[in-house]
Amino acid sequence: MRAAPALTLVMLATLMLVPVHDAPQQTFEQQALPKIAPAPEFSLTSQDGGQVTLADFRGRVVAVTFIYTLCTATCPVLTPMMSFVQDQLGPNFGRKIAFVSITVDPERDTPEVLKEYAQAFGANLAGWAFLTGTPDAIRDVTRRYGVFVSTKTANGDVEHTFLTSIVDPRGILRVQYVGVRFDPDEFRRDLLSLLQEP
Amino acid sequence: MLATLSSAAGVSLIGRPNAFAQQAPLETTTVRIAKIPGICLAPQYVADELLRAEGFTDIRYVATGSGIPAALSLAHGEIDFTANYAPSIIIPIDAGEPITIVGGEHIGCFELFAKEGIRGITDLKGKNVGVQALGSSQHTFLSTMAAYVGLNPVKDIHWVTSVSPKPMELFAEGKIDAFLGFPPDPQELRARNIDRVIVNSTIDRPWSQYFCCVLAAHRDYASKHPVATKRVLRAILKAADLCVTEPMRVAQRIVDGGFTARYDYALQALREISYAKWREYDPEDAIRFYSLRLREAGIIKSNPNKIIADGTDWRFWNELKRELKS
Repeated sequence: MRAAPALTLVMLATLMLVPVHDAPQQTFEQQALPKIAPAPEFSLTSQDGGQVTLADFRGRVVAVTFIYTLCTATCPVLTPMMSFVQDQLGPNFGRKIAFVSITVDPERDTPEVLKEYAQAFGANLAGWAFLTGTPDAIRDVTRRYGVFVSTKTANGDVEHTFLTSIVDPRGILRVQYVGVRFDPDEFRRDLLSLLQEP
Repeated sequence: MLATLSSAAGVSLIGRPNAFAQQAPLETTTVRIAKIPGICLAPQYVADELLRAEGFTDIRYVATGSGIPAALSLAHGEIDFTANYAPSIIIPIDAGEPITIVGGEHIGCFELFAKEGIRGITDLKGKNVGVQALGSSQHTFLSTMAAYVGLNPVKDIHWVTSVSPKPMELFAEGKIDAFLGFPPDPQELRARNIDRVIVNSTIDRPWSQYFCCVLAAHRDYASKHPVATKRVLRAILKAADLCVTEPMRVAQRIVDGGFTARYDYALQALREISYAKWREYDPEDAIRFYSLRLREAGIIKSNPNKIIADGTDWRFWNELKRELKS
């Protein structure tokens, strides 16, 4: 995490090379997103110490992802990418679209640590919540979203799969992105597409 | 649809509602998966925790042979699910075995090593070529390659199989002309400074344009347990991503699990195999391509359309391709 600003710059420089297209594309992937199931509910603690539930985001599109602040391998790729997309979303971010990053390392990621992490990555906390909770609560929410989390390794790393879920304004899980190397432009288009639905 | 989904809420193994169980309850919480020597099937070896997250409580790894023997273990009901080299599954389907291919996994991972003077497949005519066994994935793959360039794989190639010393050792000692291997054999040969590869299916066309390994279920498992089949497929595809993002940990886990012996070869193979590209390829293209090659080689009689009609079901794949991006 402490190397986050430098990594962010590298990541952003890379992302700036990604062309942004708004033209409609009649590809398989550009069809309306599927309706998978009601998204798993949660009630966790935010970076400000307040309780946050998924239901709080009804009426907004929300992207739910899983991170931990001391992750040195791939989390430093995912969070800057989401920060980049946050900026691309303009005034829709916060008002119509929100992000939720849930830690998989609740023992170390206190609200204070999460707040520092959020600031390091330029997160706009008006639309982006960083959540922690009891180990049981975190274990429950990761399992219900289908995220694999293992016990910590000797050096403190937490092995976990990267899964970012997009939930529509009615609370329905619509698509999941696996890994951290997905196309930020496709991610942004998927978020915006749900705003167009009746 | 949503009313159905929400009313069908299930209970996960930890006793709480499971989001994916809300789609429909699992028809079975048991899945038996092949344990085959080799690294390239790593996703199914590290999918166990993801399968538990999907609601499976009884996950068994059953030792099988590789290639066609693994497919026959599937057909005979000894296992429910495995990834395998596509032709090794197509051949039993052609013979009427109850196997259903449900998706693709990865590209490549075969490498053909050859002595100086052998520059391409056609140069293998009359040469001694080592493979693990007749009917193995290596034998089937090289047969299709030979037929593709006009050779008769039965008459034109002298196949060398040997339990001890292994064909790889025979090639390393210069006793045979060529050797086709898959991980960890290519990694071991390179470590010994034997690196004259004339075909690498991960990068050389046309082989690199198609899934090498596809995911298959016993026909009854897929038809009677569609929810379970979809979740097994989803867990293995997520595990494929784990191979990309956490190759060191996956390498250690498959060594610890007894799936392969050498950590360094496992890590190298995981970094070379294209696990991340599963959404970019069409498994039906692979089945069509390999069915044609096998028919050219005289190994199967069915045309590609019959193989696809009898032995594939893409519903799960198509749904997951829309639900699970990468």
